[in-house]
Amino acid sequence: MPTIEDRTSREDFTEAARTWLQANVPTRWKENRGSLTEHESDDIRHEWDRQLHRGGFAGLSLPKEFGGQGLSMIEEVIFHDLAAQEQAPDGLARIGRILTAPSLIGHGTEDQLARFLPKILSGDEIWCQGFSEPNAGSDLAGVTTRAVKVEGGYLISGRKTWTSFAKMAQRCLLLAQTDPSAPRHKNLTMFMLDMKQPGITLSPIKQASGLSHFAEVQFEDVFVADEDRISEEGTGWQVAMTTLMNERGSVEATSRYVEIRSDMDLLLKTLGDRPELRMQLEELDMRVELVHWQVSKAIDIDIDSPDFFRATSIMKVLWSELWQATSTFGLENMTPETADHWRLQYLETRASSIYSGSNEIQRNIISERVLGLPR
Amino acid sequence: MTLLTTRPGEIGVLAAGAIRSALIKATDQANISTYIEGASPLAWDDIADAGWDLVGIHEDEDSATLRDLVEIAKAWGETTVQLPLLPSIMAKRHSSAAAEHEGPVTFSIHTQSLAAGTGLVPFGQIADIQMMTELGNDNGSLVSVPGLVVDDFAPSLLTAQSSHTTVFSADAAREISVVWAAEASGIAKHAVGDAVAYAKQRKQFGKPIGSFQAVKHHLANAHMHVEQAETAAIWASLDPANAHRGAVHSLNLSIKAIELSIQVHGGMGFTWEMGLHFYLRHVIALREMVTALGAHA
Repeated sequence: MPTIEDRTSREDFTEAARTWLQANVPTRWKENRGSLTEHESDDIRHEWDRQLHRGGFAGLSLPKEFGGQGLSMIEEVIFHDLAAQEQAPDGLARIGRILTAPSLIGHGTEDQLARFLPKILSGDEIWCQGFSEPNAGSDLAGVTTRAVKVEGGYLISGRKTWTSFAKMAQRCLLLAQTDPSAPRHKNLTMFMLDMKQPGITLSPIKQASGLSHFAEVQFEDVFVADEDRISEEGTGWQVAMTTLMNERGSVEATSRYVEIRSDMDLLLKTLGDRPELRMQLEELDMRVELVHWQVSKAIDIDIDSPDFFRATSIMKVLWSELWQATSTFGLENMTPETADHWRLQYLETRASSIYSGSNEIQRNIISERVLGLPR
Repeated sequence: MTLLTTRPGEIGVLAAGAIRSALIKATDQANISTYIEGASPLAWDDIADAGWDLVGIHEDEDSATLRDLVEIAKAWGETTVQLPLLPSIMAKRHSSAAAEHEGPVTFSIHTQSLAAGTGLVPFGQIADIQMMTELGNDNGSLVSVPGLVVDDFAPSLLTAQSSHTTVFSADAAREISVVWAAEASGIAKHAVGDAVAYAKQRKQFGKPIGSFQAVKHHLANAHMHVEQAETAAIWASLDPANAHRGAVHSLNLSIKAIELSIQVHGGMGFTWEMGLHFYLRHVIALREMVTALGAHA
């Protein structure tokens, strides 16, 4: 079988990825994941990251010199789409691969790249993200978690919230204030903090839906070494912007498209024979397909052009509001068979217009940075 | 999902670029209300000399695809002038008789606002314009617009009503729908651009109105509508089975974007002289015709 490097066209890559996924998605996950314990489920998800690496599908769009596959966003999007169709597990290495890796490639030292990237790509090291705080949500520059300079490093104190993977993570990509007297956007520094040490307290956050995807993390004088600081003191905001503005938007939109498509298919299957709902179903179905086409259009834009950045905010607003619309429609028209699903989905999707940058922030980005309206 | 490339080909990019700059030069970016009810700032001969009306004719594998025509129609829509370029491109693409004719060519569509048996003819008011009796499958002939009555709802389309309607093949109806949807997305893009410029300059409460978040979010929404209108037109061009519904959806999004542009202009938005209504009228008329073309698909 040719290696991935030999495959240049989208069709060939699609074929290779589909074949690999069909052979490798664990049957237990595909068929019985509802009956797995949390521990079993985490094991499968952790192993999945390693499988991706062994199969040559980890870090598809990261440069080869850094251990990636040197492909483009197009292959990332194709792979995520196929993985969702084949019901592949959601790995635990996501934060490391889509947030830490690009930040390190943009701002890290040779030593940091060598120490962290291989374990991120192999799936051996799980990362969590320490950006948001109870008082710094949309206003991310307002983080107040302190990093106090000590011999050989810093002591971190403060609270981070909305942290996924906090329990399993070995490392946290953490934004903290190093100089409270410095002006805004120049007072922050990015760290790679070891999560397996004393002084860290985790509290799970139970959400409105009843599920718990996130934790709040309390840090009390937790040590982080100088060599685990990314770039210079005071550059944390710039590093965070690199992290948040990398091309994750289209990968996220693709995964969401597949989830929304599956909800849409359920609507059509259970309500398709109701003539009075036909127009609304048709409209929703079209909006779902438009999200897919919007992603296809976005990945055809040169990633270095400002248009690409513009495209990600638009995609976020589109898929999040559409997902709310499909789940609201499902709730309004639920049947005994679908009631549990739509009740949960409706409550879960209240969050979609809030996380990943609230839709108000996305609209501010579109109007100020794309349309150039005054602040 | 199959991931197709959404990019136009070389001919689409080149022709769209040339058309865009010619229109900007001809209109000097003047407000539409200064010229749309008078003479066109660009002459038909300029179009014919450049051969743009023939750009859709299929000769070989390098000829314009429907995706290329979407790019061209969008560029054309970005600066609205009262010339029958798009109907001529589509008539000449779908009829060799039309292609051999040197002047502009149009067609007649029966729509919901007209009495049975009559049709709406875009640019039917233009002297000497020829109308196809049938379009597609290489049938039909050229005639002067029969039983012409001026319809002044959309001045930029110079529409007329006719006592005859054109018979469309499914392909011709589909492709015309897609091209008009793309044109409308260009028109909507222009209208939103006007609204953004106005919001930066117009002051209330001592500040540009564009600094208020309520206005910003209107414009962000309008911008997203335009983006999606364009996406829907591209989708419609690449996926024939969904072309008609994609085109109608695209037109609806363009209309929403223009409505928001009017809102952002405040009181000036609904004056004749500000000219935004010309865009709205044009796109509403296109939607009426595209909706009707669905019956031929």
